[in-house]
Amino acid sequence: MFGFVMRVLHLVRHLCFGGALFAGVAVSGIGDDDIGGDPGSDFGVTVTESELNEASRFASQSTFGLPYEVIEEIAKTGRDRWLDQQFDIPPTLHKTIAEDLITRQADGEWQEFVDNPFKLRNVIHRFAWWQQTMTAEDVVRQRVAYALSQFFVVSDKVEVLRTNPYSLTSFYDVLLENAFGNFRDLLKDVALSPAMGLYLSHANNSKANPEENIFPDENFAREVMQLFSIGLYELNIDGSVKVDSDGVPIPTYDNDDIREMAKVFTGLTYAGEGHYWGRNWFWHDDTEVFSLPMIMYENYHEQGEKKLLNGWVVPAGQTGMQDVESAIDNLFYHPNVGPFFCKQLIQRLVTSNPSPAYVERVARAFNGETGSPRGDMKTVLKAILFDTEAELLGNTSAFGRLKEPAVRIVSLSRIFNYTSDSGEYYNTGYRLEYLTGQHPLSSPSVFNFYQPNYSPVGEIADGGMVAPEFQITTATTVIGVTNQIGLAIFYENQAFHTWHPHFETPRIDLTDYEELAANPGDLVDRLNIVLTQGKLSQSSRDIVMDVLDRVEDHKDRAMLAIYLVLISSDYSVED
Amino acid sequence: MISRRRFMTHSCGLGVAAATASTTALTLGLTRSVSASTTDGYKALVCILLAGGNDSYNMLLPHDQDQYDEYTKIRSDLALDYDSLLPLSNQSESGRSYAVHPGVDEIRQIYESGDLAFVANVGTLLEPVDAVGIQEGKVRVPLGLFSHSDQIAQWQSAVSYNRTSTYGWGGRMADLLDPNPANGLSMNISLSGTNLFQTGSLVSPYTIYYQGDGANTVWSFPQFWSNGINAHTVVRDLLGVEHDNMLRREYSSRLKGAMDNRDTFVNAIRSAPEFETEFSENYFSGTLKQIARVIGARNTLGQSRQTFFVQYGGWDHHDGVVNYQAAMLPIVSKGLDEFRSALEEIGEFGNVTTFTISDFARTLTSNGKGSDHGWGGHHMVMGGAVKGGEMYGTYPELSEDSPLDVGRGVYIPTTAVEQYFAELALWFGVGRGNLDEVLPAIHNFYSPSGGEAPMGFLV
Repeated sequence: MFGFVMRVLHLVRHLCFGGALFAGVAVSGIGDDDIGGDPGSDFGVTVTESELNEASRFASQSTFGLPYEVIEEIAKTGRDRWLDQQFDIPPTLHKTIAEDLITRQADGEWQEFVDNPFKLRNVIHRFAWWQQTMTAEDVVRQRVAYALSQFFVVSDKVEVLRTNPYSLTSFYDVLLENAFGNFRDLLKDVALSPAMGLYLSHANNSKANPEENIFPDENFAREVMQLFSIGLYELNIDGSVKVDSDGVPIPTYDNDDIREMAKVFTGLTYAGEGHYWGRNWFWHDDTEVFSLPMIMYENYHEQGEKKLLNGWVVPAGQTGMQDVESAIDNLFYHPNVGPFFCKQLIQRLVTSNPSPAYVERVARAFNGETGSPRGDMKTVLKAILFDTEAELLGNTSAFGRLKEPAVRIVSLSRIFNYTSDSGEYYNTGYRLEYLTGQHPLSSPSVFNFYQPNYSPVGEIADGGMVAPEFQITTATTVIGVTNQIGLAIFYENQAFHTWHPHFETPRIDLTDYEELAANPGDLVDRLNIVLTQGKLSQSSRDIVMDVLDRVEDHKDRAMLAIYLVLISSDYSVED
Repeated sequence: MISRRRFMTHSCGLGVAAATASTTALTLGLTRSVSASTTDGYKALVCILLAGGNDSYNMLLPHDQDQYDEYTKIRSDLALDYDSLLPLSNQSESGRSYAVHPGVDEIRQIYESGDLAFVANVGTLLEPVDAVGIQEGKVRVPLGLFSHSDQIAQWQSAVSYNRTSTYGWGGRMADLLDPNPANGLSMNISLSGTNLFQTGSLVSPYTIYYQGDGANTVWSFPQFWSNGINAHTVVRDLLGVEHDNMLRREYSSRLKGAMDNRDTFVNAIRSAPEFETEFSENYFSGTLKQIARVIGARNTLGQSRQTFFVQYGGWDHHDGVVNYQAAMLPIVSKGLDEFRSALEEIGEFGNVTTFTISDFARTLTSNGKGSDHGWGGHHMVMGGAVKGGEMYGTYPELSEDSPLDVGRGVYIPTTAVEQYFAELALWFGVGRGNLDEVLPAIHNFYSPSGGEAPMGFLV
């Protein structure tokens, strides 16, 4: 059996990707010597349609979306085994792309831009995001990091973060490196990240000087509790809000707690050569400042005891960094973290409305009750993705989630093989952002693009359900995302926007789908697997088939069918 | 000190009286005509959210030397130079003099011409409070004070006793005044996407772009028309498919609604009167220009009431507050001036009232770089119907031991958002008898059944 699976994996790798996408992954640890037979002669291995649909759903929840061949591979490998393989792939980092582009610019590769309004450095982090998101082998890690970037929010709407190519790429690398690690390390690394230090202003945050009426900045202290760890109310293990005897929710902290927490996050500043307290200007190509974790200046750290949450006392006499570690522990061991964090991760990957029981199962996994250490991210991800509720979608009329615009565009680019000869997948994202109001790492505020409890007026609110992604689905953006999808399919290269012809724009490759289009039924069947997991409604299918019957050209058929399924509600909301 | 006590007495007394009066009104079935809501004539409210928490103690400042000295002492490195301030000519009721930020001369001029008023120290409250009451834990205060998400939501919902409001007071007004427009186009129009302020149980905001004609529709690509296929027919058929999943139904409904509304909207805005006023090339001015065009199209749109929502963000100045405000306040000032000019050209300035909201003001004390989250703050109201050149509400006497200071120069509001909004809502056409449907906690601060205006800044 094992050899058989390996043979199939080898086949898939060999025939379908030319090794580009998953080379060295599917067969990790297995040399070619282990694989017998002629790769071309073993095509009898088949998977059932329902196995393909399950694999497709799993791909849609755990990645940005994958082409048919990889869905087939997942079906053959088995989801749990495939996920374990994904866990083993080292992170594909984003800062390396920034370094490469900066180096090439320094070497004069883009001298034509010197007097050009195009400022490469404004979009390098976005180029890096698209390049790696489109090409990385660690597809699950990239998707999870993106979900984390909506929990630990920093944004290129802040000029310094936008114009220094290392700031947001390094921040994203923190998310990537910790995505399969432990939540405590993740929280600490985020807290010490210079991009976060700048964004929430705890870099250069000085101890109090009461004579001058100067007090520690409370910004990060508040948000690290409200958004990054425990939330506003005490929660039950299933994510529901605890109430007191009057039925009133119990706040997790008050303003005194914020002021105590603010004292902890004093004395931190940017590291790097020649570092000094108070540094608040940067070279645009200053690598170190935004790559290295912030460091502690004891002279500017608030001394003395700090009384944190639930009676936790940070004793006097510690170093500043010991204070930080202690505060991170205080938050990490708070009973809210599991349900608070896990529910939002479920919302990003699976469903807007997980049942309390689903949240509880994942939160208990977070808490270490299934045998892993508390905060183990792999355990949490398995608990989310392999939960019966995630695997049997559609069990309530509010299950699933609206796919957000950025994910929809990356997804179609991956599923329909956007490729470029140069291997470049750079994207300013300006078109996407203009049309849909969303771009990764570009939230309008620390509160992300939408809030986890956003509930659209009407039957969703009436039913007590939420649907966060609808918060950015307005008259303008719902049209915009539809048109962005149309541009990406019909104009073949418009999922990407590089602004300057120096950079090659990848193009869609529909060869396989044009072949299928000889028989429209086959074409729609394939789309039903890769896009809607076998759940395309009969009515929607009839409408698409009716259009295809009126079109002769196979390429036109492929484009029309793909476009129509992509803009349908069947696909837009994964159920 | 005196003003605070007056506020306390005044408001507490009214809270009790209000309950009685409104019960009486209901029991006796007093003539609805007196208190009924109306959509006669035309009126628009323009809500400008300065998101992030504008440090309004550096927008509207004390100008008497003794108070300026207190201001400087408290604000330390955040204090503006006395000589740079632009004084306001009209003294307040208390005899105090005030000035505005050096970057807002247009605002000063509109104020002096009587078309703009300031409303001082407004904020979210559950009941009138003071610092002693808070320290002793005897009073209730809004949930999530100093938190952006909560305070931004509470300013828009006018509901400060929970964190889960689904509706805003602009949405509730639309539910009341125009829940089912004939052409399906919401009277609540947003230049800044979905927002709580304009969301009601029946009415959702219609969002537009500030660029071009504001709205787009689904494009028809060549692969449709070259094959003789009507793209819109196919797309509409797809959106007509029935679904068991309510999220799918919602998505279909939003896309179909956007296509329908766009056709109505663009036809109207293209026929709107032109104006000569040139607007600055920035987002804020761009949104106000588009609003002026939509107001010009209100007859074609069949709307006798409109609200507009603009979010101008980036005011969370924990760092660099002085420099950032020096760059951003002039944008607000010029934008308001241009908006006034365009509205005057098309003869609508008297029908349009523009007002600001913001999460909170900021700590008067410094964190060494900027200021942190505060509570009560100062706001502006502009329009031909505004009794301008005045300051309403009570500007706190600044002092390091002010009884309003809950710490770090965070001042307890002396006017509740409900009072501020009640004035706007009544002007807009909400009947006194309906005011509590729009502002559920209004009775804690104001009695709608009395004859007095909530604040008096509108005619």
